[in-house]
Amino acid sequence: MTAPLLELSDVAKVYSIGGALFGHRLRAVDGISFEVGRDGPEIFAIIGESGSGKTTLARMILNTAQPSAGKILFRGADLAGMRDRLGFMRQVQPIFQNPFEAFNPLKRVDRYLYMTARRFAGAATQAEAGDHADRALRKVGLSLAEIRGRFPHELSGGQLQRVAIARALIASPALIVADEPVSMVDASLRMSIVNLFKTLRDDLGVSIVYITHDLATAYYISDRIVIMRKGRAVEAGPARAILDNPQHPYSIELKNAVLSPDAAARLYGNRPIME
Amino acid sequence: MTSYSGYMLRRFGQFVLVVFIGINLAFLITHLTPIDPIEQTISAATSFGSTSPEAIAMMRQALRELYGLEGGLWQQYAAFWKRIAVGDFGPSLSAFPTPVSDLIWRALPWTVGLLSVSTLLTWCLGNLLGGLAGYFQKSSMLRFAGVLAMGFHPIPYYITAFVLLIVFGYLWPVLPITGGYRMSMPRGFNVDFILSVAQHSILPVLSLMIVGLGGWFMGMRALVSNIVSEDYVQYAELGGVARRRILTSYIMRNALLPQVTGLAMSLGAIFNGAIITEQVFGYPGIGTLLVSAVHAGDYSLVLGLTTVSIIAVSAAVLLIDLLYPLLDPRVKVR
Repeated sequence: MTAPLLELSDVAKVYSIGGALFGHRLRAVDGISFEVGRDGPEIFAIIGESGSGKTTLARMILNTAQPSAGKILFRGADLAGMRDRLGFMRQVQPIFQNPFEAFNPLKRVDRYLYMTARRFAGAATQAEAGDHADRALRKVGLSLAEIRGRFPHELSGGQLQRVAIARALIASPALIVADEPVSMVDASLRMSIVNLFKTLRDDLGVSIVYITHDLATAYYISDRIVIMRKGRAVEAGPARAILDNPQHPYSIELKNAVLSPDAAARLYGNRPIME
Repeated sequence: MTSYSGYMLRRFGQFVLVVFIGINLAFLITHLTPIDPIEQTISAATSFGSTSPEAIAMMRQALRELYGLEGGLWQQYAAFWKRIAVGDFGPSLSAFPTPVSDLIWRALPWTVGLLSVSTLLTWCLGNLLGGLAGYFQKSSMLRFAGVLAMGFHPIPYYITAFVLLIVFGYLWPVLPITGGYRMSMPRGFNVDFILSVAQHSILPVLSLMIVGLGGWFMGMRALVSNIVSEDYVQYAELGGVARRRILTSYIMRNALLPQVTGLAMSLGAIFNGAIITEQVFGYPGIGTLLVSAVHAGDYSLVLGLTTVSIIAVSAAVLLIDLLYPLLDPRVKVR
């Protein structure tokens, strides 16, 4: 039996806040365990409010922060003893929340794609790098011609976020860690990006750790979820099962906070809202 | 590119307007003072003996013509602009009859040489060290450099200058302490003369650098330590961009933008001269000239120096405005 793609066992991250004397310790992440991609590629959602430790968890999975306790294994190897950093980056790629902050405002966006192609996809010439970039961009519904020579401020948030996904794809990663990838994107474009993740999983075999506070998209695309609160996992399991029938009070509260057609009907009576 | 050339034209128009208003103000201030330089010169010339009233009247007439002070204010104003247009500020009063423009041209290379070298060196070194200190925040050597820079920064300039004079001119007399070059040396474009000029400039440049370094250092360190935590830097790190490259083209490049503006402003201010530096080190530049002009009540020289500095400062601002859209793609030329 092969090891799962990503395995977290009892991971914790403690930050000391303030001085040694009057400071206190903040348990940003407190004993989280889960696996991603044991039986083939999947979309795994980490759901939680602001300050629940989602982003800290993402940073530990990306190996930019080290857990205070517990272990993170990628393909059975402990991240703490990772020697081949570039090799790891090739397989695990990030997507950030705000695409406008993720790109250097003084750099042309296509440079990111060329650099990634040269570094991670083995492109030796500019033409090859351009091919890689164009192929990746077409997977996300753009083309090199559309973004060549553009600066970040000349593209829309949705376009930029898709460029970020294309950039991640150039490395042909096994895992993409997406930290709130649609929260800064127009609602109308949100579905196209979320659908893109589905395509990545089904067609390209990429597993995705999808970090979000948005239950609706998580319900729509995830295979399994974990709901976090104050650094702890309150509930975990198959997405549909949990979101259809939440057990923990916090999960129920979260679900009720979503304005579903049912909830709207309860609020406004059974009158049709629009005619 | 047409929008850029339109912007250039508009911006150049503004520059001309600013210079025009500035020179007008300088003209008004110098010409509305109650001190009449002609009467002063005449009283100086006639104080040694009796001169016939006809001779005095002739002298007055001759001086008025010479200084462009004939007729009413409007005529003077027109004559003033006519002379400015050809770069003629009339004869200096204190160094009569040397033209003001000659005096300025003679002093300008010294000041510009001294200050451009010290400003550029300070800027480069301050930004480099500050940038490194902002990026490698744990390095104890760079921390120490930060303490030094911050410690020297608030010391009044003249104290630093005098300490340098005392140390290198008296306690350990290895460097010349006054003048722009060795007095006995004939001026000329040869190795000996250039070496002498360089040797004489060491102390003034050093004093300016010690005081100026802290500002650039601290500014750059603060800018860089902000940018280090930006998403695009973390993103580049995760994307496998080499550290060196992150430091140069993601962090330093972005942090330098406001510093470039600051550099242009200080380069423009070069033409004001470094008054204290030139006084302390006896440097034959614009600052020394300005101080002696004020002492001598030589207002055509003051007016000439003011005009040069108005044009230089506005030109520096113009230059940076024209270059900025090329440095920062986000700046839109409207």
